[in-house]
Amino acid sequence: MKVKVLTFSLLAGMVTACGGGQEPVAEEKGPNLVIGGEEESVASLYQMPTPNELFSLVREMAGDGQKRLLNPVSNADRYASLKSRALNFGIYSTDLVFASYFKLNVEVVRYYLTTKKIAESLGVVSAFSDADFVRLEANLTRGDSLEIISNDAYAKAYSRLQDEQMGPTLAMVLAGGWVESMHLLLSQIEAHGKGEVLMVRVGEQKVTLEHLIDMMAAHESDADVAAVMKDMISIRDIYDQVDVKRVAHQGASTSGRMVLGDDVRVELTDEKYQTLKAAIDQLRARMTAPEDKTNA
Amino acid sequence: MAASAQYKCADYHRMNGNISNDKRFSINGQSKSAMVQVGKETELNIVVYRGQDYRISVSHDDKVLGEQMAIRLVEKVRVPTDEVVEGTTKEPVLDEDGKSTGTTLEVKTSEKKRNYKEEEKVLWDNTEHEMANEIEFTCTATKRIAVEVVAAGSNDPKAKKGGPNDIGCVGILIEHMPTPTVGFEAQ
Repeated sequence: MKVKVLTFSLLAGMVTACGGGQEPVAEEKGPNLVIGGEEESVASLYQMPTPNELFSLVREMAGDGQKRLLNPVSNADRYASLKSRALNFGIYSTDLVFASYFKLNVEVVRYYLTTKKIAESLGVVSAFSDADFVRLEANLTRGDSLEIISNDAYAKAYSRLQDEQMGPTLAMVLAGGWVESMHLLLSQIEAHGKGEVLMVRVGEQKVTLEHLIDMMAAHESDADVAAVMKDMISIRDIYDQVDVKRVAHQGASTSGRMVLGDDVRVELTDEKYQTLKAAIDQLRARMTAPEDKTNA
Repeated sequence: MAASAQYKCADYHRMNGNISNDKRFSINGQSKSAMVQVGKETELNIVVYRGQDYRISVSHDDKVLGEQMAIRLVEKVRVPTDEVVEGTTKEPVLDEDGKSTGTTLEVKTSEKKRNYKEEEKVLWDNTEHEMANEIEFTCTATKRIAVEVVAAGSNDPKAKKGGPNDIGCVGILIEHMPTPTVGFEAQ
């Protein structure tokens, strides 16, 4: 198994190892540029695409954003456990990015403040500074600026979780964000119709889910992460039933750049789409359920 | 010490990265810097989206890691493998009236089981491209990509693998833009 890290912790550990004790004997071999060697010796770092990447791809074809799709801000105080706070931090920050992309300006402010509140409870408050909020308010009429400010806040929170070596929390934040992205994408399709391009995007989310599960595996010894990972694997099981066809790309890119790898087509049938949607709806309902209600 | 070493590299790709002159490119949030040990392969796993053009450039501390760096882009694919699992079960032996005789018979069974394994496909290798430290490409399908890097080390004996100074910063800067169409549109 490869050494998986979400941060630089492993590599930093190597530096610590240089501090004392016997120095390993330097090998007197020539330059070593062999790549693709033993898997065990590879240090793996993982990054997830930010939600804005997906929303920027679907914005033009998905109609207007609907605020009723977002997790109500009134729920924010009702997430007590670390797992629930982490999942919903991912959910609210995805809602924030969605609101800024679909120019739901009032919601941008509300979700910024809500995300900030949960960030405080997770110890990543510095990602949401008062100065940034002032900047946000001053730019409420400028949609593009709101996108930038929201993305910055998301990116800062992400980096903060990495820097503070909060790997299990980050894994759950990203899982919440993935589920919310899917919920928003599927809901937009339900509201505006199943355009082929949007359906292809839903199919391709299989790839980001596989990436997320791979990333989470580094923290599966954490009971909360293991539970969330189990849920994510059950969604992957649905995707696994979908046919995937790979064909060599024909012709040149319209930009003139080289085309990297094969074309891939995830053939999502209507039946599988419905199964996937039902599973996402159910999982998202569980993730966003206020804990006082759940535990009553 | 570990924490300060970690932060030392944190923004290496921003500070030392070779940003494209093409203003249509935006910096992708998956860009990252890390501390890399001479001779040890390090990979950054990312997702690239269909319909986007990407530019990936790698910068590194050449005093420690050496002038050249081997870089590969590898696609990770989860592929199904079907296997037939053979086993045996004990089934009751029935008499002519369909009643159990109290004895059992061992019956061979075979069941088709689907497993998945991860395959890696090398899509680009800079050792075949004059050790280029940047690449631009179009992505026609969403993919999981590992940017793999390995450093040879410099001529300084201290910077050899296992030496006291064999760890340096590497920055992987990722930029993206929607795939543009060049030339005249068909009428």
